[in-house]
Amino acid sequence: MKKLLELTVNGEHYEVLVEPKTLLIDVLRDQLGLKGAKRGCDSGSCGACTVLLNGKPVHSCSILALQANGGEILTIEGLADGPNLHPIQEAFLDHWALQCGFCTPGQIIAAKALLDENPNPTEEEVKTAMNGHICRCTGYNMITEAILDAAKRLQEARR
Amino acid sequence: MKNITQNFEYFAPKTVEDALSLLSRYGDKGRILAGGQDLLLLMRQDLIAPEYVIDIKGISDLDYINFDDKEDLRIGALTTHRTLEKSPLVKNRFSILSEMEQNLGSVELRNWGTVGGSLCIGRPCGDPAPLLIVLNGRIKIASLRGERIMSIESFNLAPFEVDLRPDELLVEIQVPNSPPRNGVSYKKFSQLEEDCAFTAAAVSITLNHEKNICDDIKIALSMAPTAMRAKKSEEVLKGKEINANLLAEAGQVASEEAGTLTEQASKGYRKKLVKILSKEVSDQYRRELMKVLVERAGEEALERAKRA
Amino acid sequence: MKEYSVVGKATRNIDGVAKVTGEARYTFDMTLPGMLYGKLLRSPHPHARIISIDTSEAERLPGVKAVITGKDTPGGKYGPWRRFPELMDEEALVTTKVRFIGDAVAAVAATREDIAKRALELIKVKYELLPAVFNPVEAAKDDAPQIHDGVENNINITRHIEWGDVDEAIKIADYVREDRYELSSQSHAPLEVHDALASFDKSTGRLTVWTSTQSPYYVQLGLADALKMREGDIRVIKPHVGGAFGGKISTYPEQICAAFLSIKTGKPVKIVLNRQEEFAVTRRRTPMYIATKIGAKKDGTIVTKEVKVIADGGAYTALGSTALYLVGIYSSFPYKIPNYRFDGCRVYTNNNPSSAMRGFGGPQAVFISETQIDRLAHDIGIDPIEIRRKNGMTPHYVVPGQATIESCGLHDCIDKVEQKVKEWGELPKYQGVGMVCYGFMSGGIFNWINTPYAFSGAMVRVNIDGTVDLFTQASDLGQGSNTVLAMICAEELGISLKDIRLHVADTGITPVDLGAWGSRQTLMSGNAVKAAAAEIKRKLMDVARIKLGENIVYDLEAKGGRIYLTLRPERGYSYYDIVKDAIRYNDGEPLIGTGHYTPHGKGMVSPAFTFGAQAVKVEVDIKTGRVKLLDIATAHDCGQVINPPAVRGQVEGATAMAAGCGLTEELLSEDGLVLNASLAYYKILRYRDMPHITTLEVHTHEPEGPFGAKEAGEGLTTPTAAAIANAVYHAVGVEINSNPLTAERVFKALKALKKNKAT
Repeated sequence: MKKLLELTVNGEHYEVLVEPKTLLIDVLRDQLGLKGAKRGCDSGSCGACTVLLNGKPVHSCSILALQANGGEILTIEGLADGPNLHPIQEAFLDHWALQCGFCTPGQIIAAKALLDENPNPTEEEVKTAMNGHICRCTGYNMITEAILDAAKRLQEARR
Repeated sequence: MKNITQNFEYFAPKTVEDALSLLSRYGDKGRILAGGQDLLLLMRQDLIAPEYVIDIKGISDLDYINFDDKEDLRIGALTTHRTLEKSPLVKNRFSILSEMEQNLGSVELRNWGTVGGSLCIGRPCGDPAPLLIVLNGRIKIASLRGERIMSIESFNLAPFEVDLRPDELLVEIQVPNSPPRNGVSYKKFSQLEEDCAFTAAAVSITLNHEKNICDDIKIALSMAPTAMRAKKSEEVLKGKEINANLLAEAGQVASEEAGTLTEQASKGYRKKLVKILSKEVSDQYRRELMKVLVERAGEEALERAKRA
Repeated sequence: MKEYSVVGKATRNIDGVAKVTGEARYTFDMTLPGMLYGKLLRSPHPHARIISIDTSEAERLPGVKAVITGKDTPGGKYGPWRRFPELMDEEALVTTKVRFIGDAVAAVAATREDIAKRALELIKVKYELLPAVFNPVEAAKDDAPQIHDGVENNINITRHIEWGDVDEAIKIADYVREDRYELSSQSHAPLEVHDALASFDKSTGRLTVWTSTQSPYYVQLGLADALKMREGDIRVIKPHVGGAFGGKISTYPEQICAAFLSIKTGKPVKIVLNRQEEFAVTRRRTPMYIATKIGAKKDGTIVTKEVKVIADGGAYTALGSTALYLVGIYSSFPYKIPNYRFDGCRVYTNNNPSSAMRGFGGPQAVFISETQIDRLAHDIGIDPIEIRRKNGMTPHYVVPGQATIESCGLHDCIDKVEQKVKEWGELPKYQGVGMVCYGFMSGGIFNWINTPYAFSGAMVRVNIDGTVDLFTQASDLGQGSNTVLAMICAEELGISLKDIRLHVADTGITPVDLGAWGSRQTLMSGNAVKAAAAEIKRKLMDVARIKLGENIVYDLEAKGGRIYLTLRPERGYSYYDIVKDAIRYNDGEPLIGTGHYTPHGKGMVSPAFTFGAQAVKVEVDIKTGRVKLLDIATAHDCGQVINPPAVRGQVEGATAMAAGCGLTEELLSEDGLVLNASLAYYKILRYRDMPHITTLEVHTHEPEGPFGAKEAGEGLTTPTAAAIANAVYHAVGVEINSNPLTAERVFKALKALKKNKAT
C-alpha cells in the first residue's frame, strides 16, 4: 500500500505517494524528474547517487524514500543560482574535472558538503572526503584541484 | 539497476516501546531497518525479502553518546558512524574509536549508517566489532521480555549471524573506560587504501603499573570467519615483557587459531556472500596477513601503553 | 612550434555546463511516453543446448506486453566482423545453444520494471547441459567440447605477422631470453551501464534507437543485420555517454532486443543492464597466454623477437580478433626490430566474450615487452633506459611491411622521463622506479565493419549571421572530442568557438563516422572536420579575393574573425561581412562544406603513431606484498596538442585505468561464473590510491593529422601495468609475469624468491 512522502527538494515542497520499497534515488529521478543524481552500482560503492539530506551527503540509492520523510534535500539541480553557476561548478569546468560527467553531480554535491563543513581543506582532507566516489575517467587529481580551487573562490566571495 | 522486488509492510515507530511491540509481533518475518546501508543492498540483491520492515531510524532516543560517572562510554545504537567519528568526547577519551571510524567506509555511508546496524548485520569484516571486543565492549539488547547485556565477543556467531532473537532490538553499546597504562591499536588490510578489509587485527595491551609486564591483553581478528577473540594468541603475551619475538609468535598463533571463512556460513544468502569473500584472497594468505597485522597492532598498542 | 588562435589553447568542455548542472541527458535518463521496460533472460549455464522454452506463464502476467525468444527473430547472425561472414557468430537471442553464463535466451517487455523482472522468473527453459571449457589451452585440445559448429579445436582465428628471418637472426644474438606470461581480464566498468531505448514507428516502418555507444554507425549496421532491415530505416542516436572505454563499440543484445520488442509491441522499449550484468555478460579485456623470445647483441641492439599468443576468446568473436592482431603489432613497438615473428591464436571458451578494451591489445603487448626488455638489460649489464634509447623508433622509420612512422617523439619522451627519474633521486629500501616506452595507433585502418563509406565525414553549414552548424558523427564519450572538433573547425575558419553549434552522433542527420575506437577521432574525424571547414574557407576566400582586387600572388588568411592578406593584414574584411556576400553570390543558399577522410597509402595498421614514456615509483611492503604507488611521470607525444586540459585529462584518466590493470583489477571467475561482478569486489582505484601524476610536454608535428595532431586516449592505457611490474622488480627483485600485481601475488613471488635464494 502506498504511503505519503513529504520532501523539500531544492527549496520546493513535494508530496508524493510511494510504495515503501521505493528508493530515495528513484523518487528524485522518476517522480520528481531530477535526473542529475545517477545510479552507477548495486552495492553502495560508487557515490553517483549522492545528494544532501538535511545537509549531509548520503547514498540516495541505499535509503528508502520514506526514511527521508519530512527531510530537506539538495540535488545538483539546486546548486546553481538561476543562470549563475556555483563556484564549485565553475571550478570543475575550469579544471577539466569532468569527462563523461556521469559521476559529476554526485562529486559536486559531496564537494559542497565538504566545503560547507571544512572551508579550507588540505589536499589529503579532500581526497579522504571524496574517496567514496568512483570516477572512471579522470584519475581524480584534476577533481581534487578543482575542489581546492573552489575553496579559494568561496573564501574570496565571503570577503 | 536492481531494486527491491518484494513489497513489504512498513512501520516507522518513534519510540523504543513501539519498536519492541512491532518486533514481538512481526520479528520472525520482519527486519529492523536502521541506516539500511547493508540491509537494503541485501534486499535489492533478492538475498533477503522480509514481509515487514520496521524502520527505527526516526527513534531519536537511541541517538546519543554519553559518558557517565562510572566512566563508561554509552553509545545509542542509532548513533551514526559519522557522529561517533566527529564527537569531541570520543576523540578525547576514546580516540581509537574515532580513528577506526575515519577508516570505515565512505563519508556518505558514515552519515547514514549506524553503529548498532553495523554490529547487527554481522559482516565477516566486522567493523566495529573486532575493536569493540578488545575494548571489552558490551551491548544492551531489549525486548518486551526484558533487557540483557552481553559482551560483543559472544555476539558474532558466524558470518552474517549474530546472537539476536527475532523479537530483540540492540539499543546500546557500552565501552568501559580504559585502565591506566593501556594502549590500543587497530590495523586493517585492504588492497585499496580504504575498502572492506581482507582481515583486521585489534590489540589492547595493559601494562603493569610499575613494570613493563603485560598485565592484560586482548586480541581480536576479523574474517576469522567473523569477529573473533584470539585467546590462544593472548596467552603468548600475557604476563610477559612483550618484545618483537613474542609479538611474532602471537601473530603466528593468531593466524593458526583463526577459523576459515567458508566453514561456518550455513544458510542461503550468507553462503553466497561468503563465497566471493573467500575467493578474493586465499585462506593461506589471509592467515599470513593476520600474523603481520597482530604483530603491527601489538607493536603500536605497546608503544601507546608505554606512553599512556 | 606554430602558434594558433584556438588550437593549443586551454578550452572548457563545450558540454561542461550541461554536465555540471545535471541537465545532460544520458540514455540512462531517457523516457518516452508509453515506454515499456525490457529485460533479458540469461543462461545460468556455460554450455547447454536449449531443449524448450515455455513463455506462456510469463505472457499471462498482467503488465507484460511481449515475450520473445530466438524463434521470434529473423534468425540472422550478426557480429562486428562483417568482412568475414563466418566470424559473424552472434545471435541476439540464442536459438540452439548457449555458450556462456549470461547468453541471452529470451526478452520481455512490461509496463513496469518489477513486472518485467517477475516475468523472467516465469519463463521455463529446459537445457541439456553440455561439458564446458574455460581455458583456451584446454579448449584447443582435440578432446575439448566443441563450442561452435564447424569450428575445429575451437580455434576462432589465427594471426601471423612476420618480417626478416627470426630463425637465422637468433643464431647471431649474444643474449637470448624467453619469458612466459599469463595476463588476466579486466572490465571496462563505465559508470553508465549498457542501455538502449528503441522506438519503432509503425506508420513509416522506421526504427529509432538511443543508446550509450561509441559508434552509432556500428549499431546501425548491427541492427540492420540482426533485424534484416535496411540501414536507412534505422536511426541511431547517441545521447551523452557515461564512459565506454572500448566496451560499447558494437551492437549488443539489449539494443537488438529493445528494437525487436518495440517492433512487436508498437511501443518504445527501454532495456538497462544492472551492474552485475555489466560485469558478467558484457565484453572484457582479452586474457592471453604469451611466450616471448628476444635476442640481442652484447651492446644491447635487439636483433630478433618472437611472440606467441594464445588468447581466451570467450564465446564469440566480438572484436577479440582485432585485439589478437594488435598485440602482435604492438609487441614490436616502439623499437626497431629487424627480425620479427608473431603467431597468435584466439580460442573460443565458455566464458563471456573478450573483445576491445582501451588499449586493444596494447596493454598486453607493453606488459610483456617492457618487463622483458628490463630483464634483458639486467642480463646484459646495460642501463634499462639506454637499451630503450638504443633501439627506439625514430621519425620516418618503416616497420617492414606494416607501416611508416612519420612523426615520432619517442626519444624526447625518454629524455624527459629520464630527467624526472633523476629528480626523484636515490630511493630508500623497498622503493623502486619502473620505466616503460610505448607506441600506439591514431585510429586503425583495418576495415572489419566492411563499410563502403569514408571512415570519417563531416559537414559544415554557415548561416547568414556567421553562426556555424557543424555536423559530425564522431562520438564524445567524455574524452572531449566535441570540444576538439569544434576547436578544429574554429581554427580553420578563423573564428571563435562561440559561433559554432555542434550536431553530433545521429545517423539520421550526421555523415558517417566510424566512431570512437582505436583512438581515431582527433586524427580521422578531425581531418574530416578540417576538410569541411576548409571548403567553406575557400569559398569565403574567393569572395574576399575578388573584393580586394589584389594581384593573384598574394595569399589570404582567416584568423581572428577576419579574412585578410597575409602580408598586409590591414587589407581584409570581417568574416561576418564576407559570409553575407558569399551567400548572396550563392543565390541565397547557405554555405555548405563537406569533408571526409580515409587513410590511403599508409599501410594497414594506422595513418600515424603516438609514442611515449612513463616512469612509476612504488613502495613495496615486503611483509604483505602490498604495492603502493608513490609518483608517476608521463611524456606523451601526441603531435600538436589541440586542447591541453583534455590531453592532461586523458593522461591521468588512462593512467588510473592502466594502474588498475597493473595493481588491483581482475575479473575473478570460476567455472564460467564471474564471482566479483560488483563495484564492491572489482577493485577500481580511488582518490586515495592515485599518486601525483606529472604530464611532461613533448612536441612534434604529424603531417597526417589536423594541425599536426595525433591521439591521446588509448596509447596512455598501455604503459602503467608494465611500469608497476618493472618498479616492483627494481624495488624488491621479483619478476612477476601475470597481472594485476595484487598484494597476494607479490607476496607469493617474494616468498618464492626468498626460498630460491636460500637453496
